[in-house]
Amino acid sequence: MKWRGAVRRVLFALGVVALLAYAVLYASPYGLRVLTVAGVYALATVGFQVVFGLGGALSLAQGTFFGVGAYVTGILGSQLGWTFPATFPLSLAVPVGLALLVGLPVLRLESHYFALATLGVAQVVLLLAVNTPELTGGANGLAGVPGIVLAGWAVPRGLPLAAVVWACVALGAAAAARLAHGRWGRALTLVRDDPLAAATLGLDVGRLRLTAFALSALYGGAAGALSVHTQRVVSPEVLEFPVMVAILTMAVVGGRGRIAGAVLGAVLLVHLPEWFRGLERSYLIVYGLALLAAIVVAPHGITGVLDRLLPPRVRPLPKAAALPERAAGGALRVEGLRKAFGGVRAVDGVSFTLEPGRVTGLIGPNGSGKTTVINLISGLERPDGGRVMLGGRNLAGARPDWVARAGIARTFQAAGLPEGATVLEAVAAARLERDPSVAQAEAHARTVLERLGVAELAGRPCGGLPAALRRRVELARALARQPAVLLLDEPAAGLTDGEKAELARHLAAVAAEGVAVLVVEHDMGFLLPLAQRVVALDQGRVLADGAPGDVVRHPAVVAAYLGEGSP
Amino acid sequence: MTLLTIEGLSAGYGGAVAVDGVSLALKAGETVALLGANGAGKSTLLKAVLGLVPARGRVVLDGVEVGGLAAEKRVRLGLGYVPEGRRVFAGMSVRDNLEVASFAGTAERGRDLERVLALFPQLREKAGERAWRLSGGQQQMLAVGRALMGRPRLLLLDEPSLGLSPKVAGEVFAAVRAIAAQGTAVLLAEQSARRALAAAGRAVLLRLGRVVHDGPADALDAEALRAAFLGDPILGPSESS
Amino acid sequence: MLTAAQLLLNGVALGAAYALVALGFVLVLNATGAVNFAQGDLVMAGGMLAVALAPLVPAPGIALLPVVLVLMAGLGLLVSLAAYLPLRGRPHVGVFISTIAVGIVLQNGATVLLGPEPRAAPPLFGGGTLRLGELVVAEQSLAIVAVAALLIGAQQWVFARTQLGRRLRATAQDPEMARACGVPVTAMILATFALGTAYAGAAGLLLANQFFVTPTAGGDLILKAYIAVTIGGWGSVPGAVAGALVIALFEVGVSAVLSYPVAMGALYVTLLVVLVARPQGLFGEVARRRA
Repeated sequence: MKWRGAVRRVLFALGVVALLAYAVLYASPYGLRVLTVAGVYALATVGFQVVFGLGGALSLAQGTFFGVGAYVTGILGSQLGWTFPATFPLSLAVPVGLALLVGLPVLRLESHYFALATLGVAQVVLLLAVNTPELTGGANGLAGVPGIVLAGWAVPRGLPLAAVVWACVALGAAAAARLAHGRWGRALTLVRDDPLAAATLGLDVGRLRLTAFALSALYGGAAGALSVHTQRVVSPEVLEFPVMVAILTMAVVGGRGRIAGAVLGAVLLVHLPEWFRGLERSYLIVYGLALLAAIVVAPHGITGVLDRLLPPRVRPLPKAAALPERAAGGALRVEGLRKAFGGVRAVDGVSFTLEPGRVTGLIGPNGSGKTTVINLISGLERPDGGRVMLGGRNLAGARPDWVARAGIARTFQAAGLPEGATVLEAVAAARLERDPSVAQAEAHARTVLERLGVAELAGRPCGGLPAALRRRVELARALARQPAVLLLDEPAAGLTDGEKAELARHLAAVAAEGVAVLVVEHDMGFLLPLAQRVVALDQGRVLADGAPGDVVRHPAVVAAYLGEGSP
Repeated sequence: MTLLTIEGLSAGYGGAVAVDGVSLALKAGETVALLGANGAGKSTLLKAVLGLVPARGRVVLDGVEVGGLAAEKRVRLGLGYVPEGRRVFAGMSVRDNLEVASFAGTAERGRDLERVLALFPQLREKAGERAWRLSGGQQQMLAVGRALMGRPRLLLLDEPSLGLSPKVAGEVFAAVRAIAAQGTAVLLAEQSARRALAAAGRAVLLRLGRVVHDGPADALDAEALRAAFLGDPILGPSESS
Repeated sequence: MLTAAQLLLNGVALGAAYALVALGFVLVLNATGAVNFAQGDLVMAGGMLAVALAPLVPAPGIALLPVVLVLMAGLGLLVSLAAYLPLRGRPHVGVFISTIAVGIVLQNGATVLLGPEPRAAPPLFGGGTLRLGELVVAEQSLAIVAVAALLIGAQQWVFARTQLGRRLRATAQDPEMARACGVPVTAMILATFALGTAYAGAAGLLLANQFFVTPTAGGDLILKAYIAVTIGGWGSVPGAVAGALVIALFEVGVSAVLSYPVAMGALYVTLLVVLVARPQGLFGEVARRRA
């Protein structure tokens, strides 16, 4: 359906032309004013989309960054007479500084608490603005803010001002879109969709979130500054909650996570009430009903609808590139690992060794602690005691992204691939921490997919893949890390016999390359021929550790699985 | 008299087929052990019978086609469910956990409550306590008692011995046998095969979502059972029959 | 200058009204996982409803309470059918927007129907003062505390002692398991919306006498409800009530000594300190480590 992709680009071009035509030929001065306001909000919403849509963090401070940017320009412009080239950069810097200051303590909070913390900051700033009249003009604000002056030219109101604002929007949106599609943006969306997986792929979740937050402040500040140059006054209104609500609504109605959605949402929602103005007194009621209808009918926003009607052009796949040389691995030694949850000892002094070049099986009935052991080694849980030695370093208790960078990769029991991403994108995510560009990451990812025999899946979305293929993709993602140690949690679940045999072949090949492989499994028919060694757990302790045939006939292991006889 | 008939039931999660064309029938008052390794489809089968997961195929309860009914309606037709991991309502008291599952009027509810507390004296002691404070075994008994409050004709139990010490698991199974003795049909999914077989008259063995054995419990050979769970490394991967 | 006792009573009265708002908010939150952004505007709607009905009912304000409760419950059902059920199973952010939209409709509906001027509802009993020993207290403050206590007590009683209440609690704790126990979960969710909205309406009636109600009054209230529920521990019912009282005491106490803006500033700064020091709120469970 290549023509559909072409239609999208034509549509985009037509949209831009229509906007220009409207602005130049048809719009009244009032219409241009509305268009300018739409542009200002578009810029603020693009910034919000970065932290909320891409980053998944509900930051209720976007309105505040907008307001702070507005006040910086307003105060410096009206009180000190500074001009645009001086005030604009400060309107960017001050909100970013605020974001960095506030972000460090609050970004580690869980979602609602983070939202509330940002709300708290917003309210404090509003109170300061209203109650420090010497600085901010108090509740009345400050008038007499100069317009934009560029290289001696005072930009007049109307079409030139709209043009300047929209030039900023175009620049800002293009930059944001570029970032979104680049390494950083890809890493950020993985953090949004699956922060645990992101960490186990070596991504520094905290730093990514902080950068997104600071970036949102940059755009918010820019929008605020432009808004004040448009209105020529600044008042506490710019810091009030309705501004934040408007930005949130625009981001969602436009299409969460899409930069284009931010712009479309802003244009629509600034103009929508104007269209209903003819209804005089009730026009806002109709606007509210229209908004309700819009979100119910199109929960994924305008871009969601557009994507359904005109699916985007499929990007051509990059050519496969060979992966760099892998450093030689070493043995992983688990010593006396312990973890209790609220009094229950899930892991109680577990020790074993994973030798490179070997597959080790980890078996045990439900609740014996197998998944907890993997979580402890990979850093998703902190052990109460014990050591995890790799290459002479003790990794016990380290953050999951450190553990990943030390050379340990894992898969999850419930194959968690991001639904919306393509297979290639999902696997490439494993390389984001290592490779210098998305193109390189995808090229490497393609190589890994080819090795596992699923190269033809590269362009397919992860959601909707049957179980066997999901598992293969997840394995590819872990292998793309080129780990020294590979931990697999029930990789054969849901596969047919034929698929299991193939998986076993792949795993044997991986081990043959020198990787130390640990496989947690219930299906003995799959595991026993594959593993050179088996460790059996029950109730958090090791019952047996040795050759597969011996372990499965060990009386304690049999008893643990089949249960005691009747009392 | 057939109480439950399942025909060609298939169910799964996100692309994976967990239950693949299962057919079986249960008579009133019968106790059937549903066995198989983890991932064999036991849990999904029970959830599909109850209506908690979408499924294809027929489910007929006492002559009534329930396949199209929501779970809460099927429960009122005579199904009781004790899920894996117990899932008691942690913030509610023992008494409230039991009472919420009853559809009878106040007086009858009181009588049913008495019956359940008589069956589980430990719960009577703790009747006013919040459910999260109970031990694993007590929570399991609470979950079973809760399912009984709906006066089910068929009780679906999913891994009741999970996470319990052998002694406590034994107590739970004694209660299950007492319930069966009173005439309730029981479909019991268990990984702990020996215990389940000791409580059941019939055994159904699942592997990869399909039924590989369906017959009297004592006819299931110990070695065949071990092989089904732990495989036979000397002969290679165990093929399903 | 009011005495400390009078301030305390005012604070408790305001807190009682806020508690009704926060209670309605947290009940819907627990039952559905959804944040009802319209909760503040629903309080305003209740206040406006009381203002509109007052001329028709030649009796003290208390007589309006049952009417407001019933009509607002109906409105709550309508809101859940229009703004929640169609978005069930979708990402929660959709319900943010749909309830924001409901709020816009309510705000502007009130402006069109009743005008933007502040309105007052009649006092519950009398608008005068009573003498309790040496204290002179406002009748209305006492009435608010009494009515709110009654309503909260009624909710607690229904939830703790009736079969309906048990079903509502089970739905909030584990909807899938509740279904497996025969609880009609969708009906329970609708009932929770009705209850939450009815209580919002009651809060509106209580507040609309001492604090005039304007169509935009809702914005402030939703912020306070959100803060109350978060300080108290996201999802905790007693936490929401406690959080509401804390906010009201700040508002009344600190603003009497310094000023309203300083009181609010101090509240938010305290809020931030609490969040950083104890991210799970006063009553919440310990937050698990984030990746």
